[in-house]
Amino acid sequence: MSKELNLWLDKLLSDIESVKVKRKSSRRIRIDVESEALPALLELLQGHASYVHLSAISCVDWIDEDEFELVYHLWSYETNSLVSAHTRIAREPGIYLSIYDLYEPAAFFERDIHEMFGVYFEGSPDMEKFILTEWDGPPPMRKEFDSEAFVNQTFEWENYRPQWLKDIEEEGGGITTRPEDVR
Amino acid sequence: MRPENYQAINQPPSNEFELNFGPNHPGIEGNYAFRVRLNGDVVTAAKADAGYLHRGFEKLMEGRLWIQNIALVPRICVPDPVPMEVCYSLAIEELCGLEVPERAQWIRVMQLEMSRLAAHLFAFGGHAATTGMYTPSFWGVADRDLILDRFEELTGGRVYSIYNIPGGVRREVPEGFLGRMSNLLDYLESRLPDYDNLFFTNQVFIRRARDVGTMTQEQALKWGVTGPPLRATGLEFDVRRDDPYLVYDQIDFDIPTEPGGDALSRNLVRRSELQQSIRILRQVIVRLPALKGPVRCPIPNPLAWNVPAGESYARVESSKGELGYYVVSTGGDKPYRVHVRGPSSMHAVQVLEKLAIGARLEDVAQIMFSLDACPPEVDR
Repeated sequence: MSKELNLWLDKLLSDIESVKVKRKSSRRIRIDVESEALPALLELLQGHASYVHLSAISCVDWIDEDEFELVYHLWSYETNSLVSAHTRIAREPGIYLSIYDLYEPAAFFERDIHEMFGVYFEGSPDMEKFILTEWDGPPPMRKEFDSEAFVNQTFEWENYRPQWLKDIEEEGGGITTRPEDVR
Repeated sequence: MRPENYQAINQPPSNEFELNFGPNHPGIEGNYAFRVRLNGDVVTAAKADAGYLHRGFEKLMEGRLWIQNIALVPRICVPDPVPMEVCYSLAIEELCGLEVPERAQWIRVMQLEMSRLAAHLFAFGGHAATTGMYTPSFWGVADRDLILDRFEELTGGRVYSIYNIPGGVRREVPEGFLGRMSNLLDYLESRLPDYDNLFFTNQVFIRRARDVGTMTQEQALKWGVTGPPLRATGLEFDVRRDDPYLVYDQIDFDIPTEPGGDALSRNLVRRSELQQSIRILRQVIVRLPALKGPVRCPIPNPLAWNVPAGESYARVESSKGELGYYVVSTGGDKPYRVHVRGPSSMHAVQVLEKLAIGARLEDVAQIMFSLDACPPEVDR
């Protein structure tokens, strides 16, 4: 990344309020931004700084702070650098704006986040169920969903120690399993 | 899907009809369904239907130790598992600030290129089968098996090697391995003219695949296409060169491109990449014996390993496109969140739905195989 462009990007970002820029390495930039300013920031990055490739949108559930963190990873084919734009939204009601009109790949990631975390994106073209078509429980990637407890409630453990094995074990053979390891 | 959940693609009533591709169909890669709406034999609407391979990897990873997840990640993509291990390890190394020994980095490059060769041999064989030619797929799978033999010798596992760990690789390269690898490369290179005669210059293939699933470079960039499908639209971009990781900046290789943007171009790019991977592996074989030292740096007790709090996004060029791992740690012995950007998750859903419209029914499978869509990466 050339030095002039670095300076130019800094100037561009200083125009938006409440933006914190951190250079993690020569090709990785972290930007923290308020949720209201994020669409404007992405528009600037795409239109004026050649960040045309949306690599991914990641969602992190910070249950203790009652917030979802959304991370937009953008790549520039011209300057070969990756910008990760971080923003936080309230966990309830968990509604945010879609960036589909800026980046078409966003539709896939937003649909995935809606299904797994329950975040609704206004303006996204398709918020239908995709992977979990048969699932009507809570969004499973939320931290409060305990998959092991769900399994214990829903399914029964197979009995892997049938009577014939117990008989062998009484005679001192078989598979040795300590009683506390048996579920 | 249960019958009561079935919904027709939202279209006005007409004399068109709807056809289900998959979830178990020879024209589909893996367990994946694709519903197409047909007018005659021309596709007018298409909808991808995933979920048949969902195993919840991202949730499972949150409940397992950092080191246990190494055994989990390669399962996300069956034909090309090594980039998954390497990318996950790279993300953890960034969080911990681990310096991977140079010898280990070269060994990782060797595995990555072996995996790429194996995946490409698999991919064009699959494409050939969709055009009615089965011999290339038998040849491709037979030659891929020879690479799997080398994987078995190096790592102990044929498909899932689980050989990389954060900080390096598990074991030293066996004695005489590089010589046998060199022989394999000679053999594979001697096979390339055979593949050309059989498949890549075969008029049956060229006439079937030309102008099928064509996209322009503007469309590819707009739709978020990566990897060989992007290079087939003429853009010379490769994560290995433009966002270098490991020791790829010390390696001499070309980035093959094709101008067409159609199924034919995508396969020709893969054909050229076979040659480039062989070239990279030859450089590894020359370089590796001169590098002495350990194959991994010291790491804490892996069963009680608290990775420092932070987040990192690692990217790797897999055989299907750009692979990304976003890893968040809160300083615990398990990841707080791992997000996998499957290399072909974009290709298998949005790009495929767009390219299929206007195509003829018999070309839908060709489009899917030429994009090398991998359903487990969509479902995860």
